[in-house]
Amino acid sequence: MSEQPDKHVLLRVENLKVYFGSARQPVRAVDGVSFDLHAGESLGLVGESGCGKTTTGRAVMRLVTPTEGRILFEGEDIAHRSTRALAAYRKQVQMIFQDPYGSLNARMTVGAAIEEVLTVHRLGKRNERAQRARELFESVGLDPAYMDRYPHEFSGGQRQRIGIARALAVNPRVVIADEPVSALDVSVQVQILNLIRDLQTRLHLSFLFVAHDLAVVRYVCDRILVMYQGRIVEQGEPDQLFTDPQHPYTQKLLAAVPDVEKGLNAITKA
Amino acid sequence: MSALVSVEDLRVYFGDPAKPVRAVDGVSFSIHRGETVALVGESGCGKSVTSMALARLVPQPPGVYAGGRVLLNGRDVLTMKERELRALRGNEVSYIFQDPGASLNPVFRIGYQIAEAMRLHRRDVHFREETRELLRLVGMTDPDRAARAYPHELSGGMQQRAMIAMALACRPKLLVADEPTTALDVTIQAQILELLVSLQKQLGMAILLITHNLGLVAGVAHRVHVMYAGQMVEAGLTEDVLRRPKHPYTRGLLNAVPRLTGSRERLTGIEGVVPNPARLPTGCRFHPRCPYARDICVSREPEAESAAAQHEVRCHVWREVEGAP
Repeated sequence: MSEQPDKHVLLRVENLKVYFGSARQPVRAVDGVSFDLHAGESLGLVGESGCGKTTTGRAVMRLVTPTEGRILFEGEDIAHRSTRALAAYRKQVQMIFQDPYGSLNARMTVGAAIEEVLTVHRLGKRNERAQRARELFESVGLDPAYMDRYPHEFSGGQRQRIGIARALAVNPRVVIADEPVSALDVSVQVQILNLIRDLQTRLHLSFLFVAHDLAVVRYVCDRILVMYQGRIVEQGEPDQLFTDPQHPYTQKLLAAVPDVEKGLNAITKA
Repeated sequence: MSALVSVEDLRVYFGDPAKPVRAVDGVSFSIHRGETVALVGESGCGKSVTSMALARLVPQPPGVYAGGRVLLNGRDVLTMKERELRALRGNEVSYIFQDPGASLNPVFRIGYQIAEAMRLHRRDVHFREETRELLRLVGMTDPDRAARAYPHELSGGMQQRAMIAMALACRPKLLVADEPTTALDVTIQAQILELLVSLQKQLGMAILLITHNLGLVAGVAHRVHVMYAGQMVEAGLTEDVLRRPKHPYTRGLLNAVPRLTGSRERLTGIEGVVPNPARLPTGCRFHPRCPYARDICVSREPEAESAAAQHEVRCHVWREVEGAP
């Protein structure tokens, strides 16, 4: 969480639409979403399942091709660029996934998995890559002694750290994190969230943080977008959004979240 | 108030008997009629295995009931005959699980599945009438349509309602709810919780809630038991445990949960990870992660002791923890 994100717009999403299925009766997963991501900012995208938050994140990463709209990175529209032409963009924008079990190749040592990214993007000389991988491994709080091991030998939290190291390998400016802690235990969740906060400050990264957990998003984000049925229904800074939600959906969402303080107060009153 | 369930020094082990994995290792607690008790802990702490032991549902092998008693209305579930167990399961004790989609049989209609327990235990009722009544009870607006539906035709929230209807078919005295809302969206989660609380009031059943979510515990449980590495580390009234935690683990857990209000300052949480149950640390099982640990914690296993009225803790240094800011 950086204190003062400068207002330089790194990524601008304009009227993004992603439709699935038949053209006659499309499923409007994302239906006209626009937002700016500033340099060094951590932007939260929250909502319930099916609201389009994950599809929005995947569209920005260009894992799905938008039906309509523009995605401007440093002013250049990448919304409909060919896969080949996206390589440079993907050096700038990286992604972390929810499931640290499914997102690592089970048959590749974790060291090799990190090095692979460097090879694909032709970063550094061959003999320098191993050293760079070690540094990355250390930067996410893991002991490089374990780089020769396979993913199954690591816990969920450690695997998520490896996923983060992999995303950071190309020195990206934007990281899209899709539910990065929802598969983790409570005590491990906060470790990963703290790592994300530290990396953001240290590397001046911008985050698009996609999650369903409002408290988690509040903890890591400078600004939050609330999505519902493919659209952004409300946005604001955490303190304003959480104390004075304007849209009925945000209000409903906030009221529904189980919270220790809220729960205890209810008991005391009952 | 006599206890409906009384678990005494329960031990459930897995694997090689010479070197067993002690998944549940000397757990004791009770549940009174009509009350909600929460078992809280992280993955692998033994909370689900404990809950399954209440109806002797842990498969043997690989599981072994290595000691203790599970008294339900004074009768020990662990020594019952199969016939007695069948009479108990789905009747006096029933379960709902995290993923309703995986617990429902995809090839039978909802109504048929709800009536299944009645066919076994309640020959006296009119199945169709009773099924309709149950579906209405769990808040289905069109009970007849829901009864005719196949599981895949219902949303996750509706599937969980159907599961609850099924669990309630024989008016159990104890409902075990293992992470009942974890797979659901928050707004649906809130509806299901509200439903469980209101059903409990109407039917007077006891609920054992298994969860890792302290926010959820705070809202619905009368009492809470915190588990770590197969043992109960703290137990008491919900408000006492969550407002005045004595065990460093409970404190750490509370400190690891981002909140909706108040400060957004860095949370400290808990260092390290849950130990592998096959290689438990010596002494106190939490000591490698505990900021208060000292020599005795490494060498000697702490006993559960009373820290206040109705408040137990298993820690050598809880007095110090309690005084810490």
